[in-house]
Amino acid sequence: MTVTITRRAALAATGALAFAPRLAAAAPAIGAPAPDFALPDQDGTLRRLSDFRGKVVVLEWTNHDCPFVRKHYNSANMQGLQRLAADRGVVWLSIASSPVGEQGHVTGAQAKELTASRNAAPAAVLLDHRSVAARAYQATVTPHMFVISADGVLRYMGGIDSIRSTRVDDVARAEPFLRDAMLAVVEGRAVARASTPAYGCAVKYVDA
Amino acid sequence: MLRLLMLLAGLVALAPAARAVESAAVTSPRSTVTLIADRAAIAPGEPFRLALRQRLAPGWHTYWTNPGDAGQPPEVTLALPDGASAGAMRFPAPERIPFGPLVNFGYEGEPVFTIPVTAPAHLSPGETFTVTAAANWLVCERICIPEEGAFRLEIPVEAAPRATAPDITALFTAAEAAEPRHAPFTARLGFAGARGAIEIAGPGIAPGAVRDAFFFPAEWGVVENAAAQPLTVRDGALTLALQRGPAEALPARVEGVVAITDAAGVRGAYLVGAAPGAVPQAGGGLPLRQAMLFAALGGLILNLMPCVFPILAMKAVSLARLSGAARGAVRAHAASYTAGVVLSFLALGGALVALRAAGGAAGWGFQFTSPVFVGAMAWLMLAVGLNLSGVFAVGGPVSAGGGLAARGGHAGSFFTGALAVLVATPCTAPFMAAAIGAALAMGPVEAMAVFAALGLGMALPYALLGLVPALARLLPKPGAWMEWLKQGLAFPMYAAAAWLVWVLSEQSGPPAVLAVLLGGVLIGFGAWAIGAAQASGGRVGRIAGLAAVAGALALLPMLAAAPPAARAAVDAGSEAWSEARVAALRAEGRPVFVNLTAAWCITCKVNERMALATEGVRRAFAERNVAYLTGDWTQGDPAITALLRAHQREGVPLYLFYPAGGAVPLVLPQILTEGIVLQAIASQGDAS
Repeated sequence: MTVTITRRAALAATGALAFAPRLAAAAPAIGAPAPDFALPDQDGTLRRLSDFRGKVVVLEWTNHDCPFVRKHYNSANMQGLQRLAADRGVVWLSIASSPVGEQGHVTGAQAKELTASRNAAPAAVLLDHRSVAARAYQATVTPHMFVISADGVLRYMGGIDSIRSTRVDDVARAEPFLRDAMLAVVEGRAVARASTPAYGCAVKYVDA
Repeated sequence: MLRLLMLLAGLVALAPAARAVESAAVTSPRSTVTLIADRAAIAPGEPFRLALRQRLAPGWHTYWTNPGDAGQPPEVTLALPDGASAGAMRFPAPERIPFGPLVNFGYEGEPVFTIPVTAPAHLSPGETFTVTAAANWLVCERICIPEEGAFRLEIPVEAAPRATAPDITALFTAAEAAEPRHAPFTARLGFAGARGAIEIAGPGIAPGAVRDAFFFPAEWGVVENAAAQPLTVRDGALTLALQRGPAEALPARVEGVVAITDAAGVRGAYLVGAAPGAVPQAGGGLPLRQAMLFAALGGLILNLMPCVFPILAMKAVSLARLSGAARGAVRAHAASYTAGVVLSFLALGGALVALRAAGGAAGWGFQFTSPVFVGAMAWLMLAVGLNLSGVFAVGGPVSAGGGLAARGGHAGSFFTGALAVLVATPCTAPFMAAAIGAALAMGPVEAMAVFAALGLGMALPYALLGLVPALARLLPKPGAWMEWLKQGLAFPMYAAAAWLVWVLSEQSGPPAVLAVLLGGVLIGFGAWAIGAAQASGGRVGRIAGLAAVAGALALLPMLAAAPPAARAAVDAGSEAWSEARVAALRAEGRPVFVNLTAAWCITCKVNERMALATEGVRRAFAERNVAYLTGDWTQGDPAITALLRAHQREGVPLYLFYPAGGAVPLVLPQILTEGIVLQAIASQGDAS
């Protein structure tokens, strides 16, 4: 079964969410179709999740000034995972959800500059200034990670690894949850731990 | 430069607490953090406490062990001298800190994280016990900043432990009170799909006693942090609806902390845990339709209950009369009776709902807790019995219950129904608890629907008579036997009156029993006088009779004024509080511990079980000859209210310790632990 969301439906959903005091009612669930979204990338091109059907997709919620995100970029862990993804044909989408005026807010130009200066390698940086995708996935922190299989089903959600800290030293010691899950999905294996504790800074939502 | 100024400001702030053993502060614009000891000097082999003390700038927060949707708890690594040992760092009960649609669990203001330490026995007085610590903490507002610091603390070693500055002692006392503690609560928890609930059962939990509650799970992913936890409270248990979090599997045992704010606004945090099982259902867990069905069934069965039976005796008389009447009359009587029953249940239910909404601790059958009501009911039963016995005929207001059948008035049928309900409610208490609990948990409209169903069930046999006249034909024909039946049925009424006097004796003691019996004599006299007047047609007897009834009614305030028996379970080994008793005991030179409590106060009940009834506290009371007085504010004693006001309190609990010879009582925190009580009692030595 394929789920297509018309632009109008997406807008209607966004409008409805604007009045919802809490996160969207339907929580993203492992084994269920991953919620679709349409967001502009760093160049202003509208990208839909459904455009990548047939490929494994990784979603990375990011805020470049969050100490937890910095831990994984300063240690080059994140860039390494992005390159591994590219090598294995995985589409890596970094999603910057911070609205205007909040820490982590980037324009397309700033996103490109950050990608260059950090030597990062995402397939695209998506700008979620209205918190639409964040609400659909109930993203709580940066970095919050999701893996979606080629058939559009959510296979992993949670933390990037097992040690909840901001220390670069902990990266090497941690169990790499996201890496394990991504490789398992690429290789068609079952994900050993499909839902793990996400840790990091709170995602900055647009006021509902 | 700014940093330097902040540092200087920090040092100046610390200067007055010079006696406190507190490390140099690690400061940022967001936080001022120190390591602090609860003693000015420690003794060899003695346990004491260290604490990480955070003073956070407004808007900034740090995190609990389960930080919620984001964040990270503080970490402390201690380096202690050889032979010393330290326990795990203790976290205060967290607050919900909403951020957009997310909710974090943590602290604003000045959280204090205590660490129990035991000094080695081989220390000798004069030495210095040096502690160093490395700590890191994440402090967030809209953005998060990881901070860290190194701390060094030099604590003098002396032969005996020496107390630190009073404000620091108070800081540690407050920290201990803020830590979640064990409680005599049992928890049940379960999930079905995304929905679940946790039920906390224990003493003192009742609808009027709980203002707010929230369950903080110890582990990530068990519950949706941001989801509201709708609260329902019934007598003895509260239920919080939970939404399942993203963790794939639940732990074998779900642990956590439930924070309960009681009616007085005091927040207590209690450690709870349960193996996941069936989803606990709020308020007995009946959907409305089912609750209504059970209520109707229960109402039907109520007809067989001993407390309703006397009323039914009257109804039987009226039915016997009806057996010869026309179909329309039967139908009208059935309708009146049904209306009387249903409207009375609605009135009672409405009163109960209103009382609960007003924060009262009313339980079902609440009207029977009023001695005035019980006394008046006893007299009404007596009067109805006298009427059935033929002492007087109907004509006054009393006829509403008893004389209906004779006159065949529809008002009579209506009031028989009302009377049946009034008397039936105490019977329903044990029997209908689930349905009524469910009703009260559901909300006012649903509650009223359940009460209406209860009434319909009770009236059903008579309603059927009205609807199916064929049934009425089965009733025996009227005749002389009816007068015998009527007179015989007077005796159940007398028995009901006797039972009510017994209820009153339990409630209010001998003076009230005397008052109600005297009133009974007056009612008897009045009935006799009225009966005589009816026979002779005279006026005097009628006036005398009404005067006697009025005299009985005038006795009612005596019932209200009778001293009620102590209501809150007074702890063994304690005596009742009074201003005079405190003065007398202090004049004897004895230290006095005063516990002001109430039956509906959860915080009080937990404190009594966990802090005051412990072996250690009892022993300390005995050793130091402490007199333990309990003041029961369950019914709002004005003398206790005055004492509360004198200590700027609006409600219980209030704990006061009057040291021997000391003039000023020590006011203990509203959340007690055994340690806090023991420390207060021990301070007696310091004071004198």
